[in-house]
Amino acid sequence: MTRFPAIAPDLVALFAARGADMVDVPVIQPADPFLDMAGEDLRRRIFLTESETGAALCLRPEFTIPVCLDHIASQAGTPRRYAYLGEVFRQRREGGNEFFQAGIEDLGETDAAMADARSVADAHALLSLSLPGRALNVTLGDQSVFEAVLAALGLPRGWRMRLARAFGSAEQLEAALADLANPPKASVLPARVAELVADGDREALAAQIAEGMAETGLSPTLGRTPDEIARRLIEKAELRSVRLSAEAFSALKAFLAIRAPLDTAADVLEGFAASAGVSLGTALERFSARAQAVAGHGLPAGAITYDAAFGRPLDYYTGLVFEIAAAGAPRTLVGGGRYDRLLTLLGAKSPIPGVGFSVWLDRVEALRGGA
Amino acid sequence: MSITIALPSKGRLREQALEVFAKAGLPVEEPADQRRYRARIGGRDDIEVAFLSASEIASELGQGNVDCGVTGEDLVRETLADWDAKVEIAAPLGFGHADVVVAVPDIWLDVATMADLDDVAAEFRQRHGRRLRIATKYWRMTQQFFSQMHGIQVYRIVESLGATEGAPAAGSADVIVDITTTGSTLRANHLRILDDGVILKSQACLVAAKRERPAADAALLAEVCRRVREAVA
Repeated sequence: MTRFPAIAPDLVALFAARGADMVDVPVIQPADPFLDMAGEDLRRRIFLTESETGAALCLRPEFTIPVCLDHIASQAGTPRRYAYLGEVFRQRREGGNEFFQAGIEDLGETDAAMADARSVADAHALLSLSLPGRALNVTLGDQSVFEAVLAALGLPRGWRMRLARAFGSAEQLEAALADLANPPKASVLPARVAELVADGDREALAAQIAEGMAETGLSPTLGRTPDEIARRLIEKAELRSVRLSAEAFSALKAFLAIRAPLDTAADVLEGFAASAGVSLGTALERFSARAQAVAGHGLPAGAITYDAAFGRPLDYYTGLVFEIAAAGAPRTLVGGGRYDRLLTLLGAKSPIPGVGFSVWLDRVEALRGGA
Repeated sequence: MSITIALPSKGRLREQALEVFAKAGLPVEEPADQRRYRARIGGRDDIEVAFLSASEIASELGQGNVDCGVTGEDLVRETLADWDAKVEIAAPLGFGHADVVVAVPDIWLDVATMADLDDVAAEFRQRHGRRLRIATKYWRMTQQFFSQMHGIQVYRIVESLGATEGAPAAGSADVIVDITTTGSTLRANHLRILDDGVILKSQACLVAAKRERPAADAALLAEVCRRVREAVA
């Protein structure tokens, strides 16, 4: 059994003082939600097992998904803030396979700016309590600002989706941008299909594809549908005819290079929008409102940096993402963000907004020991 | 002092492996009873031969239970995590060629590359209420190729225990990752390999286990590897 962190009782007291209710979730969880949400890459890092009936189970690798599932199952009212502190289990190269995490998941709060700011402040308070006197650096990103930039630059939907997916990974973003500047050559289509694509006749194209499916014994309903394939064929043809203009390209690069203290970040973004000749609309308004709400918590000035290129490559993060590290220690101590899509993906009947963070207590303990 | 060589116990792979060893001056004296799984090399009492299935050979090499063996590169990469820390490929043998490939239904006319598949996978959940499903026996290689090389995160692997190429038509998966030699099975099932969908060009290899061994055994292993390399050169 991993040593219970010495700081645990203080953290539980902190959660209570900040108005979050402790929640307990089972260690053994259905594996599918994790693999569905985080992707197959997680498979080699979790401890999988099977029930007698063949259902895939795992030791909880994190708390966010179990807490959300628990919330959905119990049909609890919102808004509600759940705090947790417990062991998680992952196959890791360094450190033990079982270690403690703590955090807060804030579900159903409709004032996003307030909830986002509170999440950052809660995480900061937790670390300040655990590592007294240690300077903390918060890095903050916002997926929705990036998406607003893509839309404002007039990029077609297909490209926006592709770039938004690569957000947060410098390498993938680079590759996607290279593809957009210089699209790969078109593949050869059967003559009849090429004709229909050129005409943009989606209905006839779908009919043609449905025929092909029938001939090859592929179900038109179990997987991709004829219409879906037709639509994307036409969209691809359209995308090839558009080139990313040099101005748009350099504007994107300029945006991604933005790094600014949070208290001036909204102004910097406004300056960027003005020089690029675009409007970032509600995304910028929401960003400013959040920045102001964060300022209201009185965190040390200059401790929070907005990094325009900072993101998480998971499709349920929708807005704020943040990380906190201690000055002079490379490893991230806290990861958090807004996941407005997650609860619907997990089966909630109506959309429930959510924001939360998680603390790597093993890393915190290591810093405390070394202090 | 002695070393153990693992050879495939069945089929063409066994015959071809025996030919290579004979050519290398290491003739395997096959047991009179083919059902026996141990043999020796003619004139050498310091080399033992164990006949195992090709996938067992990969895992035995990984555990260091045998010193070297003949198996497919695909099985080595699939069976062993961190394969190159545990074993090394001493010589590709020029037979047992097979490609591990990503194949989609031929009628997916809009999908020619992994980037296309990335687009499709990203929107799949929203359209169909489930992730894109990939049928395969090669989950480790699939996961490395999709997640690490192409940054595709959102898909699910469904383990397939046989006839993987039938999964899309059966509706149990959308695309497959499978092994192919001539591509004819894929074509017969109306599947098409993506332009950049070759994960590995595999062939049978002499593979050596990386582990501590007495100097005499190490020299013996080096000699076997050298002889085999020269025989196939």
